[in-house]
Amino acid sequence: MSMDHTIELKNVSKFFGKFRAVDDLSFDVPRGTVFGLLGPNGAGKTTTIRMIMNITAPDSGQIRILGKPLDRATQNQIGYLPEERGLYRRMKVMDHLYFLAAIKEVPRETARSRIADWVDKMELRPWLNKKVDALSKGMQQKVQFIATIIHDPEILILDEVFSGLDPINTALIKDYLLDFRSRGKTIVFSTHVLEQAEKLCDEICLVSKSRKVLEGSLKDLKRRFSQGLLRLSVGASPADVLAMPGVASCQMMNGFYIVSLNPGTDRRAFLRQMMDRYEVAAFSDKEPELEEIYLSAVKAAGLEETRTVD
Amino acid sequence: MNWKKIFAVVRREYVERIRTKAFWIGTLAIPILLMGFIGIQIAVARRAGGDHRVAVVDLTGNLFVPLSEQLAESEAKQKKEGPSKAIHWVLEQRPLTGDLATTKEALRKEVVAKKINAYLILDPAQLAKDRVEYYSTTVSEFAAMNQLESAVNHIRLRRKIADRGLPGALAADLERRIDLKAFRVTATGTAEEKGAGIIAALVFFFLMYSTFFMYGYQVMRGVIEEKSNRIVEVIVASVRPTELMLGKILGIGLVGLTQYAAWSLIAANLSLPGIATAMASSEMGVPRIPASMVGFFLLFFLLGYFLYASVYTAIAAPFNTDQEAHQLAMIPMFMILGGIAVYPAVMNNPSGGIAVFFSLLPFTAPLTMFLRTALSEPPAWQILVCAVLLVATTIGMAWLAGRIYRIGILMYGKKPTIPEIVRWIRYTPGKGAQPAVAETT
Repeated sequence: MSMDHTIELKNVSKFFGKFRAVDDLSFDVPRGTVFGLLGPNGAGKTTTIRMIMNITAPDSGQIRILGKPLDRATQNQIGYLPEERGLYRRMKVMDHLYFLAAIKEVPRETARSRIADWVDKMELRPWLNKKVDALSKGMQQKVQFIATIIHDPEILILDEVFSGLDPINTALIKDYLLDFRSRGKTIVFSTHVLEQAEKLCDEICLVSKSRKVLEGSLKDLKRRFSQGLLRLSVGASPADVLAMPGVASCQMMNGFYIVSLNPGTDRRAFLRQMMDRYEVAAFSDKEPELEEIYLSAVKAAGLEETRTVD
Repeated sequence: MNWKKIFAVVRREYVERIRTKAFWIGTLAIPILLMGFIGIQIAVARRAGGDHRVAVVDLTGNLFVPLSEQLAESEAKQKKEGPSKAIHWVLEQRPLTGDLATTKEALRKEVVAKKINAYLILDPAQLAKDRVEYYSTTVSEFAAMNQLESAVNHIRLRRKIADRGLPGALAADLERRIDLKAFRVTATGTAEEKGAGIIAALVFFFLMYSTFFMYGYQVMRGVIEEKSNRIVEVIVASVRPTELMLGKILGIGLVGLTQYAAWSLIAANLSLPGIATAMASSEMGVPRIPASMVGFFLLFFLLGYFLYASVYTAIAAPFNTDQEAHQLAMIPMFMILGGIAVYPAVMNNPSGGIAVFFSLLPFTAPLTMFLRTALSEPPAWQILVCAVLLVATTIGMAWLAGRIYRIGILMYGKKPTIPEIVRWIRYTPGKGAQPAVAETT
C-alpha cells in the first residue's frame, strides 16, 4: 500500500440482514484526483462511503485511509458531506460553523479566519447572524459546503453532492472542487447521474448491484470502449446497417448512425464493406458517453439492470 | 473518548439551550408560579375572615341563643390573636314555614341567591344521633365548620354537666386537649420539627421529580431533532456516537444545574423571605434547609438524571418524530412515577421495608432515597449501596443506549419494531450481519 493512494479498499463486503449491500469491493483512490463512485440508486455507494467514514463497520475486508486504518487523526483530515445532510435549524450560521469546526478540532482562531474567508467567497456575510431557519435552501447548501471544508481536509468525500442543488450552486461547487484538486487534494464523490461524473472525474469506479463493474481512469476507459464505436453518415436504412456483418447495435443520433461493433470485428474491413455497398458521406470514431460505457460494462459483467440508469 | 470533541458538543447543547426564551421563561415563571401559589394560599387563609351569614332553624327551641353567644365569644378571642383571621358570624333564626322540607327548600334558594352563606338545622332527632346538618355551597370552609362544630359540642357538654348537677368549671377542664410536640432525633442531637422541614423536603422532592421529566424529555427531543434535521450523520463523521450521546447528556444536565442555581438565587432573594414570614406566623415554624439536604438533592438529581437520560436516549434513537417515540417514552415515565407512587409510604415510615426496598431499586431510588435522607437518617451503607447500584445501572443503560443509538441514528424512514431494536443491541461489528431495516443504503 503506497502513499500515492489516499483511500484503499480491499475485498470489502457488507451485509444488512440477508441483503448483500457491498460485495467484495476493492478500489484505490489516487492522490490528487477526482474519483467518482458511480452507479444507480441502491448499488451500495452510500454504504461504501459510510464504511470509509467508519460510520458502519464492514463485515470483511480492509479499508485504509492515508495508509492506515481510519483513526481520530485521519478522521480530522476528511471532509464529509453525506447524502442525508442538514443543519441545526435554530442555530445561528456563525455559531453553527464554529461548532462544526470545533468537532474537527480546528482552533477557534483558525476557524475565525477561515469562516471569514469562505463567507465572503460564498456571499453569506449578511446571513452570519441569522438563524439557519431563516436561510433559503440554496444558502443552507452553501453553509453545509463551508462546514465540509472548514478544516481544510486532505480528502473530500461527497455523497450525491449535487442532488437538490440549484444550478448556480452546482456551478459554484464544481469550481471549488476543481480548485481543490489543483491544490493536490483528493475528492471522492458518488452520484447516480453519470453526465455530472463525466465532466468532473479523473478516475471512476462503477458499481452495480453491490459489485464493482469497472474501475480506472476515465481517459483510458473511453479509449478502451471507443474501439467498437463508429459515427457514420451513410445512405442506408437502419435495417441495412444492422444487417452488416459484425454490427452489434445501431442508433440514430443527430442524423448520424452510432454503430457499435461486436468485439473482435475488424474496423477497416467493416468500413471497406460498408463503402462497397452504400454511399458513405462521413465517418469518425465516436467517443463513448459514460453511460454507454456503463451499460456495456454491466452487460459484459452479466449484471444487467432491471432498472434503467436515471 | 476525545474530550475536546465532547466538550464542543457539551458547549453547543448548553449555550443553545441557555439562549432560548423557553429556558428563561421556565427559570422565571416557576418561582413566580410557586410564589403566586403560596401567596394565594396565604391570602385565602387570611380571607377566611369576613361575614359569614348563616340561617339557623332551631327545632329544639333552646340552642340558638347559646350558639350565637358561643360564636361571638370565639370571634372575640380570635380578634385578639389577629383581626384579619376572625370569622364574623351573622346568625339569623328562621322559623319553620310549613314542614321541614319546604323550609329547607326556601333556604336552599336563599343560599343559591347568595342572600345567606349557609343554613343549619338543629333537629332534636338528629342531635340524639350526634348529628347536626349544615348546608352550604362549599363544604370545605374548614375553619368555619370547625368553629361551628366545636361551638355546638361545647354547648352540649355544658348542658350535660349542668344536667348532672356538676360544677360548671368542669366544662373548661374537660375541653382541654394535649398538644403532641414532635422532635426529630439526629446523630447530633434533637430539634423541634413543626412541619416546615417536611414541607421543604417535599418541595425539593417534587422539584426533583418534575426536573427529571423536563430534562429527560429534552434529551429525547434533542436526539430526535438531530435525526429529523438530518444533521446527525454530519456529526458522527467527526464525533463518535457515544461521544455525541455523552456530550448531549452532560450539556443538558448542566442546563438543569444552571436552572437550579437561578431558582436558588431567586428564592433566596425574593420568595423565601415572604414564605418564611408567612410560615413563621403559621404554626409550622420557619423552613430550615440544611446543607445536607441540598447535598443529597444534588447527588440524587445527578445520579437520577444520568440514569433517566440514558433511558430517554435509547428510546429516542430509533425514531424520527416525537410521536413515534411517545409510546416507549412511557417506560422512563413510569420509572419516575414509581418514586411518586411510593412517597406516601416513605413519608409514613422512612425506615420501613417499603422505603428501603424502593430506595435501593435503581429506577425509583433517586426520588425515594432523597426523601428518606430528608425525613430521617438512613444508614450510610444503604446510601452507599443505593449510589453504587444507581451508577452501575446507569453504566448498563448507557451501554444499551449507545448500542441502540449507533444504529438508530442512521435509520430513516420505516419505524423499527421492538424485535428489530433488540437485534441492534445484539449486533457487534465484525460478528454476523448488521440487522436490516428498510432504507439503509
